Amino acid sequence: MLNVFKNLPYLGQYFILSFLLCLFAWLSLFSWSIVPITGQQALTALLHPDKNIIAHSIVLDLRLPRVLVAAVVGACLAVAGAIMQGLTRNPLASPSVLGVNAGAALGMATVSTIAPWFGLFGTSVAAIIGGAITWSLVMLLGAAWRGGNEHGRLVLAGVAISALCAALTKAMIILHEDQAAGVLTWLAGSVADARWSHWQQLWPMALVGLLGAFLMSPTLNLLNLGEDNARSLGVKLGWARVICSLLVLLLVGAALSVAGSIAFIGLLVPHMAKSLVGQDHRKVLPIAAIMGALLVMIADVVSRSIIYPIETPAGAILALIGAPFFIYMVRARTS
Amino acid sequence: MSLSTHNLSVGYHDKAIVKDVSLIIPDGKIVALLGPNGCGKSTLLKAMSRILSPMEGEIHWQGKNLLTEPSRYLATQLALLPQTQPIPEGIKVKDLVAYGRSPYTGFWGRLTTDDNKVIQDAMDKVGVAELAEQLVSELSGGQRQRVWLAMTLAQDTPYLLLDEPTTYMDLSHQVELMELFKTLNDAGKTIVTVLHDINQAARYCDHLIVMKDGEIITQGEPETVLTKDMLKSVFSLNAQIHQDPIAKTPMCVVE
Repeated sequence: MLNVFKNLPYLGQYFILSFLLCLFAWLSLFSWSIVPITGQQALTALLHPDKNIIAHSIVLDLRLPRVLVAAVVGACLAVAGAIMQGLTRNPLASPSVLGVNAGAALGMATVSTIAPWFGLFGTSVAAIIGGAITWSLVMLLGAAWRGGNEHGRLVLAGVAISALCAALTKAMIILHEDQAAGVLTWLAGSVADARWSHWQQLWPMALVGLLGAFLMSPTLNLLNLGEDNARSLGVKLGWARVICSLLVLLLVGAALSVAGSIAFIGLLVPHMAKSLVGQDHRKVLPIAAIMGALLVMIADVVSRSIIYPIETPAGAILALIGAPFFIYMVRARTS
Repeated sequence: MSLSTHNLSVGYHDKAIVKDVSLIIPDGKIVALLGPNGCGKSTLLKAMSRILSPMEGEIHWQGKNLLTEPSRYLATQLALLPQTQPIPEGIKVKDLVAYGRSPYTGFWGRLTTDDNKVIQDAMDKVGVAELAEQLVSELSGGQRQRVWLAMTLAQDTPYLLLDEPTTYMDLSHQVELMELFKTLNDAGKTIVTVLHDINQAARYCDHLIVMKDGEIITQGEPETVLTKDMLKSVFSLNAQIHQDPIAKTPMCVVE
């Protein structure tokens, strides 16, 4: 079954995944609701909304933004992970492993506890700044630009910085217990509270980030050949790195600021996409975007169903799938 | 004079490996850079191919500073074959060679019929056409080296800069490669290559540049450069110079 899918032409895989995406989006609109909604109602709510029917309101005001946010967050994180892996030529690179998630969490925790005056700029800005600082630190400490042989060093730097940020975040929560609940929800990562306002905040950043990433994909292909070859083939290395880093921060910042710290998508999905379509980033990025969207959406549906009617954070579900996959990948690489 | 250096110093971590070198690469020749390990020949080649930036001095292409010329334009003029190459995962030979066309394609990298012709031609020339559908990571070291060379050829530049291109290759492929240089040279390309085998350089190259401790000791035709004294002072070798019975070029035999 999996092999048949793997051998399909690229466009075939693309359409099947897109079809699955629509299918799960539809399922997600009506499944596991306290007020019963039928699949038919979910569709009519989209096409001929009637404000007097409670089911329609739920679909339009709660479920639809949630589905859209889940999908776009997944796409952003998956594409960001693919860019990071291409940029550092390190298969373990991803927002969570290289400390961007932890840095964003620290930024967000700082703002909501010890520096509320920063609230003016909003927690999402704080998250992006935090992520940017840790990302730069990890890249410097890990000698990321040397590529190739320095895989271990970069990941070590990421793990160390992540641990430091996590410790500081915890300290802040302990010092300001009244704000703890908000930070903890954010740390778990969930799209349960996504509303239209979140969507409004998310889509412009995601659009710019994703389009930029697709435009950079031929350059990522050349970076894959090593620094010397890329330069000899006319890539402006400095610019390519700056642009790719900014795109990563934009994508990760957009995703984290609405959904909280969702791990493993950025690590897992690029590898899944590459096993399907090979190493050409022009194909990898769109497939990774769709798969990331699909995975977060599925995780969200599962998070509602697992101890219905209480919701588990989608981030926890993803970590549950992601952690074993991560271990498997490390083992497969070292053996 | 297309490629030239002017009082060039270049190295790593603030330490100059190549010191104050002024050099004009003769156009339309096969040029070999020779010298003992660590003499700076690879460093000089890397500087000429923009991998390393000069610490002092300048490198000129067609009389203009290499650093101020657009990257993409230079990629159509100078191609480099680095000494150590990564082993790219999951990339087919023909796709790797096709990346050589990227300075010419639009930003999306779509290949035209002409591009495909150049790619096929490059693979034919170095004899990797039958490997086209295989993964680069599954090839032997020598095969992989030839695939990278094909990529460099697909870049279709008037100047080729090669850093020890014969490493990993068996003797027959080394000979084939040197013959290929002759063919490319006849077609108008200038080739600058770092070589270890002095006799190979003397036999196949038109112009030898000998370096030691980051400086150019001597340069010129093999007949004038390859002397007993040079081998003694540069390589600390006691050797005799004889005439190659086949090619009539000088060759050295270690005593």
